[in-house]
Amino acid sequence: MIPTPEQTLGPFFLPRFVDADANDLTQLEGRRARGEPIEIHGVVTEEGGAPLENLIVEIWQADAAGIFRHPLDPRHREADPDFLGWGRAATDREGRYLFRTIRPGAPAGRAPHINLMLMYSGLMRILKTALFFEDGPGNDADPVLRCVPPERRGLLVARREAPGRYRFDIRLRGEGETPFFDD
Amino acid sequence: MTVLFDRPPEAARPVREVAGYPQTWRRTPRAPLVRRPLTLSETTGPLEPARRLRPLGGELAGAGERRAIGQAIRLRLRIVDQGGVPVAGALVEMWQANAAGRYVHPNDDDHAPLDPNFYGAARLVADADGRIEIRTVKPGAYPVPTRDGWWRPPHVHFSVFGRVWLARLVTQMYFPGEPLNAQDRILNAVADPEARERLIARLVPPTGDPYDELVYEHRIVVRGREATPPQP
Ligand SMILES: [Fe+3]
Repeated sequence: MIPTPEQTLGPFFLPRFVDADANDLTQLEGRRARGEPIEIHGVVTEEGGAPLENLIVEIWQADAAGIFRHPLDPRHREADPDFLGWGRAATDREGRYLFRTIRPGAPAGRAPHINLMLMYSGLMRILKTALFFEDGPGNDADPVLRCVPPERRGLLVARREAPGRYRFDIRLRGEGETPFFDD
Repeated sequence: MTVLFDRPPEAARPVREVAGYPQTWRRTPRAPLVRRPLTLSETTGPLEPARRLRPLGGELAGAGERRAIGQAIRLRLRIVDQGGVPVAGALVEMWQANAAGRYVHPNDDDHAPLDPNFYGAARLVADADGRIEIRTVKPGAYPVPTRDGWWRPPHVHFSVFGRVWLARLVTQMYFPGEPLNAQDRILNAVADPEARERLIARLVPPTGDPYDELVYEHRIVVRGREATPPQP
């Protein structure tokens, strides 16, 4: 088989770095996190709609009470001890990723949301975005979502497919392109 | 909320679409990136990702019958924040090709042999001073299958967790004096020569201790005006 450029230009994030349960935030060292378990899944595509395999997605979010597990959050001492707030997934051959997590509470001044970060070959810098929930609440007032042009805001809203299951597709470039943030 | 980090100057970061690097033209967003206010969500971040991940030790070169082929090197890294403050406990992941320029990866082709004694990955937690140390072999250069004469110079990939979401960094480390550095499309996507220099390790003049390893020092600055530029 002739390799395509696709196949051999890094980052070569090695399979060993995607630990089997790193996409499951609902438990930590065998103890269950507080709150409602939910699933977030979707497909990551490049321009033209081709799915991207072995792309790395990481998430960072508040716990069920809207608290970030970090000393800069004034409420961090009340953070759920069994919720790390961080996870990693790799896309499969069809470009699909999946996270099992806890529905985040609303952090102070924000709507419930999940931060996402993508890394992959061809991405000279990490891409960062955020996911909001179709059933909110408070999306209209969120200061970050409001920075996105109104006609593109819907692209950051995950669709509720079933109770506790949300779909969030990510299009890196072209039609329906996901808004990304400049950090 | 105070802004914790200055944005690096644009010339100190790589351009996003690179001539001769086809994937960048299919994956880089077309729309301008959205500037957002910094809230707790961006100025906090995972401090204990290692609790979800299995450690992979920093001894990659092996010894005796399990010694990997290639020049043994020791990498002494220091992970710091803007202002030089060490990132104590930073999770650092590194991956690299073997001495022949081949990765242990299902997508790498067979332009060069695998080495049964070399996997080429480490996952370490920095000490209180932000330091990690890795014993490995010097990675080989490898040809990029654009087949137009682009070879990646020897380099080591790093993924680093700063203390906050804004400081998450993926980058590469290069070796000093490598002729291929001057032509590499990824290294040279950073316009500012001083910023490029921050991607290149320093060879510590050998003292005979250890007698059989070359030692390189490298500093990774996760964020700020003097940040280490990201690399894919
Ligand atoms: Fe590489």
